[in-house]
Amino acid sequence: MPFPDTARAEAAALAGDLPGLLMEARRLAAAAPGAHGRRRAGQGEAFWQYRDHRAEEGARAVDWRRSARGDRLYVRERELDAAQSALFWIDPAPGFDWASDGAYPRKFRRALVVSLALATLFSRGGERIGALGGPPRLGARAVERFALDLISARNEEPPQAPARARVLLASDFYAPVETWRGHLARLAGVGVSGALLMIADPAEEDFPYDGRTLFHEVGGRRELLLGRAGGARAEFSARLAAHRRAMREMARGLGFVLLTHRTDHPAAPIFSALADALSGRAR
Amino acid sequence: MNWGPIAFAAPGALWALAALPALFFILRAAPPSPRRVAFPPLRLLIGLSTDEQTRARAPLWLVLLRAAMAALMIIGFARPSLAPAAAAEIGSGGRTLIVLDDGWTAAPHWTQARAAALDAIEAADRARGQVHVLRTAPARRADDAAAALTPAAARALLARIEPRPWRSDRGDAARRLSSVQGRFDRIVWIADGLADPGDGAFIAALTARGPVSARLPGATARALIAAAAGADGVTATARRVHGGSSAGVAIGVIAAETAQGRSLGAGDIAFNGAEASVRIALPGDIAARAARVRLVGEESAGAVRLLAGGAARPSVGLIDPGAEGQPLLSDLYYVERALAPYAALRRGAAGALATARTQALILPDASRLAPQDRAALDRWLARGGVLIRFAGPRLANDADDLLPVRLRPGARTFGSALAWERPQRLGAFAAQSPFAGLTVPDDVAVRRVVLAEPSAETESRVWARLADGAPLVSAAARGRGLIVLFHVSAGPDWSDLPLSGLYVEMLRRVLAFAGRAQDAADAQTGGGPYTPRLLLDGFGALSPAPPDAPTIAADVFATARAGPATPPGLYERGGVAAALDAAGADEIMAPLSLPASITQMGLTGARARPLSGLFLGAALALLALDLLISLALAGRLRGAGAAAGVTLALFLLAPDAFAQGADDPTLNVHLAYVRTGEAATDRLAREGLEALTHVLTNRTAVEPGAPIGVDLGRDDLSVFPFIYWAAPSAPRRLSDAAIANLDRYLRLGGLVLVDTRDAGRTGGGRPAAVLLAGLDAPPLEPVGADHVLTRAFYLMHAFPGRAPAPRLWAESASAAAARDGVASLFVGDGDWARAWASLDGGDLPGGARQREMALRFGVNLVMVALTGNYKADQVHIPALLERLGREP
Repeated sequence: MPFPDTARAEAAALAGDLPGLLMEARRLAAAAPGAHGRRRAGQGEAFWQYRDHRAEEGARAVDWRRSARGDRLYVRERELDAAQSALFWIDPAPGFDWASDGAYPRKFRRALVVSLALATLFSRGGERIGALGGPPRLGARAVERFALDLISARNEEPPQAPARARVLLASDFYAPVETWRGHLARLAGVGVSGALLMIADPAEEDFPYDGRTLFHEVGGRRELLLGRAGGARAEFSARLAAHRRAMREMARGLGFVLLTHRTDHPAAPIFSALADALSGRAR
Repeated sequence: MNWGPIAFAAPGALWALAALPALFFILRAAPPSPRRVAFPPLRLLIGLSTDEQTRARAPLWLVLLRAAMAALMIIGFARPSLAPAAAAEIGSGGRTLIVLDDGWTAAPHWTQARAAALDAIEAADRARGQVHVLRTAPARRADDAAAALTPAAARALLARIEPRPWRSDRGDAARRLSSVQGRFDRIVWIADGLADPGDGAFIAALTARGPVSARLPGATARALIAAAAGADGVTATARRVHGGSSAGVAIGVIAAETAQGRSLGAGDIAFNGAEASVRIALPGDIAARAARVRLVGEESAGAVRLLAGGAARPSVGLIDPGAEGQPLLSDLYYVERALAPYAALRRGAAGALATARTQALILPDASRLAPQDRAALDRWLARGGVLIRFAGPRLANDADDLLPVRLRPGARTFGSALAWERPQRLGAFAAQSPFAGLTVPDDVAVRRVVLAEPSAETESRVWARLADGAPLVSAAARGRGLIVLFHVSAGPDWSDLPLSGLYVEMLRRVLAFAGRAQDAADAQTGGGPYTPRLLLDGFGALSPAPPDAPTIAADVFATARAGPATPPGLYERGGVAAALDAAGADEIMAPLSLPASITQMGLTGARARPLSGLFLGAALALLALDLLISLALAGRLRGAGAAAGVTLALFLLAPDAFAQGADDPTLNVHLAYVRTGEAATDRLAREGLEALTHVLTNRTAVEPGAPIGVDLGRDDLSVFPFIYWAAPSAPRRLSDAAIANLDRYLRLGGLVLVDTRDAGRTGGGRPAAVLLAGLDAPPLEPVGADHVLTRAFYLMHAFPGRAPAPRLWAESASAAAARDGVASLFVGDGDWARAWASLDGGDLPGGARQREMALRFGVNLVMVALTGNYKADQVHIPALLERLGREP
């Protein structure tokens, strides 16, 4: 990690704001259209209900302990078990923890809110949630613990995930496509699928610069001086679109969905879209 | 240092121009800083086809702009000035002679003359030379012999120089100049543009000493050469330079004033040639109060004419002899005709006339004194009255004791059939006589006189004698009063005196004692020289004479001209006031003619014009432009540019935008208040009128706009129906322009409420008197119960302001008759603005009710201003109703 101290400080600051983040996330989760319903019988561990035995089910299905207390035969049904875990990774790069204007949230924070909201939703549905590379969390205080994990994780690259987990990778994905292909292929190799959340600042899409402008990297040393920045707008937009297209194609090929989001847009639509993309129903 | 017509006061700064090339390269190497932005997707930007710029060089045109800005600043700091005369300036060192015409003829353009002199001193200062200052109007003490001065000392001297109330004497100046040796490198003659008898010698003396340049005023001074108050007004004659390059202004206004500076009337003059006359039509008694006549706007001693007799108009009683068959032969007829222009005359019995109001009594021979009249006369004399008696048959036969000298019985007759003596001529007046200075006509024959008993006492009491020494006029003190006896009759029976102009003049001289009724007896000790009481300064203002002011011998006074030994002003001799004017009746007003060898320039045209501000301002403008360019280069001009454009537009359009606001008084009615210059007073007046405006809008059909403050001296008042004038705590006299403006406003029918704001306050000055000083204010009368103001909108009986029952006067109905009886001037002490502006009357003794009544007064007043005496008809309603009721 390039800036561990800064990262820890920012993590602490974010953790200090944890109640606010969680509140925001819960509100987002509550406002989500379509419940993450999983309350039905299925192949799970937990007891779901007793029901009458049907003749075609055979004797193996009878729950004899219950049936012995009465005259009728009962079948013990278990709840459908969401055995999968949802794992989250947010890009800790300084360029991602950035906003062009105080009026918009930083991209990192928006990713955090959306991730927590999804985690809240999944946790309510009984799924395990966790930061990619960290332990899965389950239970009443799962979201809080997960939030702390997520904030303090700060893995520069997405770590390897357990097999067949669902992951959400949030970043601006400005690194070359090939870099990401490497990461995603490593994940897909163990059957991991999921969604990529590509968050952009409005300034990064609209390129509202004119005149003599010196562009510099966030947290880097590279600089670029343009005499008339306005002239570069069209070409930059074309490049950005091409980059996204390439990312989307690559992600789809490896079983990932790529969704884009702008920080000046409300979080609810992207939250719903992600919830659908990550829940079993949408698949 | 000079460069063509441009002179630099600090040429050292120009060395900095040498550093410009270095600056050029520095600027070239330092381009405007770009805008820095963070941009995470920088990777996507790199390698775009848009050319990436190096940050090494600034564009050439920008560098040139900045270098020009620096050059402008350097030149500006070198303090350049555009001086057309600078080309002719002397080099380093040298002597400059400044000749300053400082007679009263220079007073009208004195500030320009002084500025021109300062220019010359400035030029000498730049050249580090010496300055000599020669004033052409001679001083009483010969103290200015044009000694060498440093420029700083010359500046200090110039600050002290004021124009003198007499003309320049260039012959004398030429003599004084000869006491200074050597040539001058430059001679600047700041002339008054008028010719002087000594011009020839003076110009020769100047041109012999060095190159001369003359600065001439655009318009030369004008003089009032005659003024007199008559029975039908004040006449005045003004003279100017006619023809030539610098004639006097062709139009003007002549005003007559009282001794206190109150304007009595004014008339326009228009010069066609060299002279113009005007008659200011005034009633005789008003005209007689004129103490001076001024050419308005021309501030010089020559533009003022003093009327000595006008200081006071005595009230004179004519003791009526009773019924007489032939009024034209009556003695009193001649006295009356002689004195009518100069005195307020009343006829009557001695007892009725001998009151404190009467300052002089004329007792002709025919009149009889009843015993009680006699007693009253004695008392009146003891209090200081002046009794003027004339001889006649009755006195010759039966002399009483109301006489200055003891008379021999009978009269001396000359030239009658039975007498051998020829009729006598008048003798010259003795120098100590009150009549000294009057010319004795040689066609006045005296045929009869009453004779005094000769005694030493008699000799000292004689004011005038016949050619053979017999007394003609004698006078003696009686109590504090004075008895003057003309030894001839008041009519032409005994002498030709009543038919001559001398009679009038002698009577006026005697009446001068009446003007000082309280100490007539003291004043009659005539004699001695004329002592100055008030002296004119060069600008025509009167001030008390200093103790060491010179006196003028009686025999030369009549022929004296204004000069250092005989300064113009008001003189007095034996209680008789006499004026010595700055401009004589034969004042020579001819244009100054200069030889071609003297370069001529206007007083104002050739001022050195400082250019520093221009250069520095241009540099600042370039700086602003550079700022905008830098912003544009950095791409930050989108919002800023619009804001700057709007600001600039507001800047340029601001005056127009202001003038075209909703506050145009020509489009809507606005109440107005006089801006007194005292912030507190003005704010109070504005707030008061705002409250009144609010009430008017709510309750009446009048919906005025926001109150407007007016400057009496400058603003056009005619658009305001009502002007509220709150007296400031330190009232000052209005300027002439303000007085004329306000006079015109009042005449046009405007309405002014002068609020002295001192109700209930005792002591202090009389603010109204100060504020209205000089104004042609109409006579005032208290506002009575039947005044239209009591019923113009509300029915009112009192007019409360801050005080519950202030005093209020209005122009009297008779004075306002020309305007249908609508008063134009209201004067009161109610402090109404404070009452109007008070919040719910909380600070008024009468509380909210008093404020309400004060507002009602304001409403009524505005109604009077707008509708005149429309409601005055209600005065007649009771009579009309009664008449209606009487009819069947």
